[in-house]
Amino acid sequence: MRYALVTGGSGGIGKAVCRKLAQMGFPVIIHYHKNEAIAREVKEEIETAGNHAELISFDVTDTQQVKTTLEAWKEKHENDYIAVLVNNAGISKDELMVWMEKENWRSVIDTNLNSFYNVTSGLLKDMITSKFGRIINMVSLSGQKGLPGQTNYAAAKAGVIGATKALAQEVGKKKVTVNAVAPGYIRTEMTQELDEKELKRLIPVNRFGTPEEVAETVGFLASDGASYITGEVIKINGGLYT
Amino acid sequence: MSKEDVVTIVNDFLIDEFELEEEQLHPKARMKEDLDIESLDFVDIAVIIEKEFGLKVTSEQMVKIKKLEDLYNFILAHSQN
Repeated sequence: MRYALVTGGSGGIGKAVCRKLAQMGFPVIIHYHKNEAIAREVKEEIETAGNHAELISFDVTDTQQVKTTLEAWKEKHENDYIAVLVNNAGISKDELMVWMEKENWRSVIDTNLNSFYNVTSGLLKDMITSKFGRIINMVSLSGQKGLPGQTNYAAAKAGVIGATKALAQEVGKKKVTVNAVAPGYIRTEMTQELDEKELKRLIPVNRFGTPEEVAETVGFLASDGASYITGEVIKINGGLYT
Repeated sequence: MSKEDVVTIVNDFLIDEFELEEEQLHPKARMKEDLDIESLDFVDIAVIIEKEFGLKVTSEQMVKIKKLEDLYNFILAHSQN
């Protein structure tokens, strides 16, 4: 059976993506690191709706831990594989470059960029040999346009965009697609301290987006209907940056 | 396992997986130039080698396989160990 794994499944966008993929019929593996209670709520919600969900926990920055945990999952699921991977886990630690300590640079690169390697590399072989795979990377407006105060985050997300385009060319022949979704301002924990009233004037659609609007695009990219779209970065930003 | 068995298993897989014709599968056939088998295709080959012959293949070993006979010989050499 084809499973979907959503890293950072307890976060604002992650939760919406888990629900969407479950509605589409994928058994969903909800990944969390620290927010077990929220991940469990999402699982119960999906199960109440009559769909299948499982929890998995690892630190996306820990290469060995990711490998061991995913291998253990595979051992328990002999006839299944993770066909849809949504690399969604991420953090931001905004600070002007002039004040930024190395640790804030390193942790953001680790969680947003190195995690892409840690999680994706071990799942590719099954996708390639099964001749079906969907890798969807959550990037950001910041990785395309650059935003002040986010040199670390912008660098990480721009790195993932580059990796998306390269990997898409590596594995396209095996019917594995690799795309990225670049949200602008979305109503989540990450943007709760921003002033929507002020910022919405810059956005043609005149509001922040919702996690569900991002999840719709992820769902489409995961579907059979998106089989000829690969190496693409889809902006979901209300027209803020085109 | 005899060389004939190895050749049969490998050829059947290559015909099925890469839509090759049996007459193309000459031992001297070059993987890339003659059979159009590229680096990523070796992932599929590695998996079948592991499944059918119980051998783990590294990417370093894979890059040394230039001709079809190299692949047969690799399997024979390692499965006898």
